[in-house]
Amino acid sequence: MNGPLIVQSDKTLLLEVDHEQADACRRAIASFAELERAPEHIHTYRVTPLGLWNARAAGHDAEQVVDALVTHSRYPVPHALLVDIAETMARYGRLRLLKHPVHGLVLESSDRPVLEEILRSKKVQPLVGARIDPDTVAVHPSERGQIKQTLLKLGWPAEDLAGYVDGEAHPIELDEDGWALRPYQRQAVEGFWHGGSGVVVLPCGAGKTLVGAGAMAMAKATTLILVTNTVSARQWKHELVKRTSLTEDEIGEYSGTRKEIRPVTIATYQVLTTKRKGVYPHLELFDSRDWGLVLYDEVHLLPAPVFKFTADLQARRRLGLTATLVREDGRESDVFSLIGPKRFDAPWKEIEAQGYIAPADCVEVRVNLTDGERLAYATAETEEKYRFCATTATKRKVTEALVRKHRGEQTLVIGQYIDQLDELGEHLGAPVIKGETTNAQREKLFDAFRAGELSVLVVSKVANFSIDLPEATVAIQVSGTFGSRQEEAQRLGRVLRPKADGHEARFYSVVARDTVDQDFAAHRQRFLAEQGYAYRIVDADSLLAGDEAG
Amino acid sequence: MTTSRETGGTGTGPRTLAEELRTRPDEDLAGLLHARPDLLNPVPGDLTQLATRAATRASVARALDRLDRFALQTAEALAVAPDPCPYGTLAALMTGDQPDDPAVAAQLPRAVATLRGQALVWGAEDRLRLVRTVRELLAPSAAHPSPTGLGPTVAEATTGMSPGRLQQIITTAGLPGTHDPVSAVASLTALFEDRTRMAALLEGAPSEAVGVLDRLLWGPPYGTVTADPAPHLRWLLDRGLLLSTGPGGVVLPREAALHLRAGRAHRTPEPLAPELAPLAEHSARLVDATAGGQAHIALSTVEDLLAEWETAGPLVLRAGGLSVRDLKRTAAALDTTEAGAAFWTELAYAAGLLASDGDVDERYAPTPAYDEWLRLPAERRWTHLATAWLATTRTPGLVGDRDAKGRTLAALGPGLDRSPAPEVRRRVLDLLAELPPGASVSADTLLARLHWERPPRTTGDDLRTRLARWALEDAEQLGVTSRGALCAHGRALLAGPAEAAALLAPLLPQPLDHVLLQADLTAVAPGPLHRPLAQTLAVLADVESKGGATVYRFTPESVRRALDAGQTAADLTAFLTAHSRTPVPQPLAYLVDDVARRHGHLRVGAASSYLRCDDEAVLAEILADRRSAPLRLRRLAGTVLAAQAAPDILLETLRAMGYAPAAESAEGDVLVTRADVRRTPQRTAPAPVPEGPPIPDSTLLGAAVRAIRAGDLAATAERKPPAEQPATSASGLPRTTSADTLATVQAAVLTGAAVWIGYVNADGAASQRVIAPIRVEGGFVTAYDHTADEVRTYPLHRITGVAELADESA
Repeated sequence: MNGPLIVQSDKTLLLEVDHEQADACRRAIASFAELERAPEHIHTYRVTPLGLWNARAAGHDAEQVVDALVTHSRYPVPHALLVDIAETMARYGRLRLLKHPVHGLVLESSDRPVLEEILRSKKVQPLVGARIDPDTVAVHPSERGQIKQTLLKLGWPAEDLAGYVDGEAHPIELDEDGWALRPYQRQAVEGFWHGGSGVVVLPCGAGKTLVGAGAMAMAKATTLILVTNTVSARQWKHELVKRTSLTEDEIGEYSGTRKEIRPVTIATYQVLTTKRKGVYPHLELFDSRDWGLVLYDEVHLLPAPVFKFTADLQARRRLGLTATLVREDGRESDVFSLIGPKRFDAPWKEIEAQGYIAPADCVEVRVNLTDGERLAYATAETEEKYRFCATTATKRKVTEALVRKHRGEQTLVIGQYIDQLDELGEHLGAPVIKGETTNAQREKLFDAFRAGELSVLVVSKVANFSIDLPEATVAIQVSGTFGSRQEEAQRLGRVLRPKADGHEARFYSVVARDTVDQDFAAHRQRFLAEQGYAYRIVDADSLLAGDEAG
Repeated sequence: MTTSRETGGTGTGPRTLAEELRTRPDEDLAGLLHARPDLLNPVPGDLTQLATRAATRASVARALDRLDRFALQTAEALAVAPDPCPYGTLAALMTGDQPDDPAVAAQLPRAVATLRGQALVWGAEDRLRLVRTVRELLAPSAAHPSPTGLGPTVAEATTGMSPGRLQQIITTAGLPGTHDPVSAVASLTALFEDRTRMAALLEGAPSEAVGVLDRLLWGPPYGTVTADPAPHLRWLLDRGLLLSTGPGGVVLPREAALHLRAGRAHRTPEPLAPELAPLAEHSARLVDATAGGQAHIALSTVEDLLAEWETAGPLVLRAGGLSVRDLKRTAAALDTTEAGAAFWTELAYAAGLLASDGDVDERYAPTPAYDEWLRLPAERRWTHLATAWLATTRTPGLVGDRDAKGRTLAALGPGLDRSPAPEVRRRVLDLLAELPPGASVSADTLLARLHWERPPRTTGDDLRTRLARWALEDAEQLGVTSRGALCAHGRALLAGPAEAAALLAPLLPQPLDHVLLQADLTAVAPGPLHRPLAQTLAVLADVESKGGATVYRFTPESVRRALDAGQTAADLTAFLTAHSRTPVPQPLAYLVDDVARRHGHLRVGAASSYLRCDDEAVLAEILADRRSAPLRLRRLAGTVLAAQAAPDILLETLRAMGYAPAAESAEGDVLVTRADVRRTPQRTAPAPVPEGPPIPDSTLLGAAVRAIRAGDLAATAERKPPAEQPATSASGLPRTTSADTLATVQAAVLTGAAVWIGYVNADGAASQRVIAPIRVEGGFVTAYDHTADEVRTYPLHRITGVAELADESA
């Protein structure tokens, strides 16, 4: 009884990382527990019903889960918790969605009372058809997603064994010339393919695009890729042409500007969720081809309407890619029921340790506002307070000092407020990329930055996602979307791409002391701190003093 | 059953229970008193008294309650057997004609000995006699069907049957006719008891009739028939196989049923206690360790509960106990269910660690014993709780149920004591202790065993069953058992707390003196902490997760709380450095410093008035002046003094000191010291007060005259002299009997005459009135009241008496 794990009564698991058995234990519990926080000494995992069902979906049984806990636990595991785990896991798979040779899609149960219970639910009744025999009931094929969602809410998640349509075949091969899938990417692809559908969780910069490409090469079928925005769509296209046997002509872009439907089509969330006269005019995209695979980039940002469309796509293979399953809107269960269970997960620090993402040094720079600014802040309207303290002149000066300090390094300055960015761009003599910048202009600037012709780039939140700027080594965040945790993660991701020279990345967050800016920053940093990226706090004064001295 | 006393027949054996008791050795009597302690209270004077008391209904019922199932079954069989009953007959009743379970015969002597030992059975082996009260309690009757499912005997069932009908029955049954009902019954009984002849008789039964018999066979033996029974029922009725119990009711007589049952009194005699087949065998070490862990959780839960109630304990309900809302809140605080919260509060209460404080607004709070308890080592703390739990009659499982009056039972409230609780609890643990270490048994098996040992009176979910289930749950919560198996310290607890404490001590996690601080502003204590450390941390950080370890989170609020409690930033940093194995993470140090920097930045105090002056020298002078001392002035800033004295006093004093202060309003305006011109609120002018009453107007006068006339009429009307007694008593009210009153009033309604009444109003004031009754109904007289000059209604019972007016014309 001297294991590295402590099981808490609230179903969190504390793992002591410095313990000699920590690694074995981590592997044992990763299948069913979600890593919640990974600070330096003790990692916190949480056992949730979703996690347990994920484990069931991945073929683990309660016995293994209980065994993992009992073996590694330092203190006796409360019996009630073990019983609860066994009961929760037993709920998965009592109901199964199957393809019946005669009746089509059916819901079958090995436990008749459960079937009776759920059939009595008002929410289930409209989704099911005739009772075929005491244990089986027909399900309208169009409601396959709906019923899974509903059953999960009722606490009886259905195992979807109804299989997938193959879709229109299309030859896709990985073009592994001078590069290869990293081991964890390969595992992720295999995990996904084996499970049928699901979500792969990888940190920013860990090469999620390649996992997508790998999955496409497995499917060898026409593929619909859903991404967050046009820039990201172009990047996907670029990457696919470079890494696979696909050619430019085989890849279509379906966005606000272009409406191409090709064997591989990349569409943006925005165009799909555009509503005109109460209808979604671009929905036919889903039916325009017999897609064999649907890829969702940045699943944690998936807008609500896309969930609705996804419910109708349950017969297609679906792969979700994300850096975090944390959704600010709490719709994790929809991701589970509609896209699929988590198929692969690797913590940031582990991939960093393997050298695939750059190590990063996160620094919070605390700026003392001048008395005048403090007074103005104190009297500002509540809704203007954040904007005011986030865009003070003192912050700008500190930011400029930081850029100077890292002169010669590829630096990104990221912010929320356009006037602030414009002003910074002007002072730094750097171009600004914001919402109104044309895509062509953006590409041009990004290319120049990648090539090293430009060393400083000021970007607004358009660059939060999926922009591949591997050479960026310093990111300076001056303002953000209030306390958004995933934005912070995305922004850090910008500098985590492995560097050619393997040196450490810097992530600065410039924060005004004693203002709401500081509170929001604390909230934003929590996610990273929990991922093991400890923030150092530096006083702007000492930084500037050091700057002048050095 | 014909004997009215416990007397035997002739022969050499004892003739009464008392006589037999007299022959028993002392130790047997001691055994009897031990088994039935109620007989000792008060100590009986002699053996006759003891025997009499042993045969009282209450005592017998209690003794029967405590019999194991087989002894009870034996007693039940004796109750349906002839009295006295030879051992052989009893044995036949228990085993049936074809004994198939050797255990029955083997266990029967033990059962009889038990009954005999408890003075429920007496007499020699060949003349076993059941104490009469026992027989009364157990013998089948229509109101109390016997657990054997047997009905009354032929003799009992035919009491009151016409000899003619009896005659018919025995003839139809193929017996020689006899005119004597007694011998007729005897021969019918003999027929039913004779297996061969009875079998022959039943050979000829219609198949539906056999079906009917099968239904009644194992009881209840009563059935109903219509006035015109179907042929198969008629066949049975005609042969006495069904005997009428009343209109439409029939019963299967006992002898016939016994024949059909092949002589068995019980369908399934249960001679042996059900075995406690182990459900699972865990390793004893695992069980002990898990139970130890649970014991630790139990201790910390109780400590958490009492720490929570230390500052703001919940109010005591007026009817006693904890309100549902407080219970819910406690459950949330302890991160458990309401049932769990009820258990822990009741446990702390039973252990004397918490009680109501007895103040005006009564609240629950920890007792001084709690502080002593806290000083004990952990294992002793546990044994204190566990022994209190073993002995308590409080049953938190009842919380939320309703009592007989429909009131909800509240935790810590009245009505939760159940006297069998400790005994059941003990028995459950004793049974678990019979199993090998580490073996667990399912609750149902255990309950089956308990049911055998003390058969429940009713088939439903009786109290003892619930108590046993709760005992199992509680034992698990408390760490006496784990995974259904009794652990070593639980086993030792049954013998005494000292040994249990010794066994438990090594299983409890050792308190730690350090925590792990992390950059995400959490601290993890990977085990229980030393109390002072835990207390300080609980102030400095919020507890985020509990269990084997504790996770604390530092927030600005929590740090501020620590600063409020008098710590300084340096103290806190020193404390964290001292108790952390790793360096204090920078964000945490920053957090502490940040909060400390702002802490106390704003200062709040109370003052009654202030004094301000642009000239600092003047203020300094005032402050230095001894005469200003009573004002309790304090310099807040160069130009401001705060005073504890009220503004007017401050003004006066300053003036007395020779200054010329001016008062300031709340808005800072100078108050002009001119005397205020005061105004009252809106007032009306006083009404003039004339000397005499106002001059009445004509309406008033008319009414007054009428009233005076009416009063006069009432006072002066001549009355008829009363019939028997003087109609007017000392008070001058007429008095008549209520019948007379009613008659006179009714007569007055008919004649339309006015009568003179005495009337007592609701305040008890008596008056006389002259009324002309209009209607009398429902105990009320509606009448025109000459005195009041209006129609009024008088309750009849308020009228003391009535007299006719002598002269109608007033």
